[in-house]
Amino acid sequence: MIYKTEFDYKPDEHENERASNSYIMSLVALMAGLPLPIINLIATLIFYVGNLRSTYFVRWHCIQALLSQVSVLIMNSFAFWWTISIFFGSDLINNNYISYIMVVFLFNLTEFIATVYTAIQTRKGIHVEWWLYGRLANILCKS
Amino acid sequence: MKNIISEAFLTVLLFFAIWFGLSNINWMEILKVKEQKVKTEEKLGTMILDNFFDSSTEIKEENILNSIDSIFTKICDKNNIDKNSIKLHVVNNEKINAFAIPGQHIVLFSGLIEECNNPEELSGVISHELAHIQLNHVMKRLIKEIGLSVIVSLTTGNGGTDIVPEITKLLSASAFDRKLENDADLKAVDYLTKAKINPEAFANFLYKLSYEDDDKLDILTWVSTHDDSKLRAENIINYMPKDSTEYQKVIHEYTWSELKVSLQNWGND
Repeated sequence: MIYKTEFDYKPDEHENERASNSYIMSLVALMAGLPLPIINLIATLIFYVGNLRSTYFVRWHCIQALLSQVSVLIMNSFAFWWTISIFFGSDLINNNYISYIMVVFLFNLTEFIATVYTAIQTRKGIHVEWWLYGRLANILCKS
Repeated sequence: MKNIISEAFLTVLLFFAIWFGLSNINWMEILKVKEQKVKTEEKLGTMILDNFFDSSTEIKEENILNSIDSIFTKICDKNNIDKNSIKLHVVNNEKINAFAIPGQHIVLFSGLIEECNNPEELSGVISHELAHIQLNHVMKRLIKEIGLSVIVSLTTGNGGTDIVPEITKLLSASAFDRKLENDADLKAVDYLTKAKINPEAFANFLYKLSYEDDDKLDILTWVSTHDDSKLRAENIINYMPKDSTEYQKVIHEYTWSELKVSLQNWGND
């Protein structure tokens, strides 16, 4: 779930662009990093570190983008190694595996749509908070 | 903080609830996973067999095939294995070799059959290859060594067939790794015990191979090394049931002698 809320101040055009780029970065890395899920996390982490001295609005969105990648990393890593164990190990394809891949796909798709939506909104200067990650970003990011 | 914990909990719960719900649907049936797997294996098996028989002669004499089929049928029947789904091929080759091919094919060399002193030894070899098939070792090995993408492109016609001789060589001229060979040996002991065939004969056969000449024995295929062969024989003896199971003759001695004579005379007629 996504909430549009008022930010503490009105970010300027330059901040909007940087904040929006933090989400775009995760999307580009997602495409480049498949099937290794760690790539997106590393990319968003690098982007976050690069913006440590940036404004509150930019840092806040970098953190939200980074946090969203953590859960994706856990889900996708499990899917990745499960797939590897089927291809190269002794595991066999079964209902549990197929269902897991479907849930992971569903969560990835949701996250993808949310990321695109948030990238567009932040570019317009609208502050968007995600379910769970928004609250975490509020705690982790100090103004 | 309380809200974060409850939102995290709900997210995890949602994930597992959807997973649990979806796993109750029979996707294997809906997506026809098994049928696709069987089709791919059959296609690959046919390609490998065609390639193998380009340079080898298959023995199709009824006398020989019927005797081997009697042994094979007994093992399959007593272990609830669908005999008709597995195809046995006997090849005229003096090397001591046997191997399994995708699509449930077992290839036995005439040299191996001649090396067996009794039908129980041959039963051991057949059970061992049957175990490789039933434990899905053949496809797992191919995926590991050739790669799934190559296999898929090969069987869907999207790739060249240049790799087929390489796959044939891999399956016919090199052994599985030690763990898989050991698993197949132990499974073979289970099959033999259920069919009331003495597994000791299988151990004896492996032990005998450890003293066999390298040029006659296709050393890289059926056993990795002479030491491996001894070790495998010992593992079989240790694993086989210690109770006083009453073992039976798998085929009549006369049938066995006839088989040996037919093999020796094959090609001379």
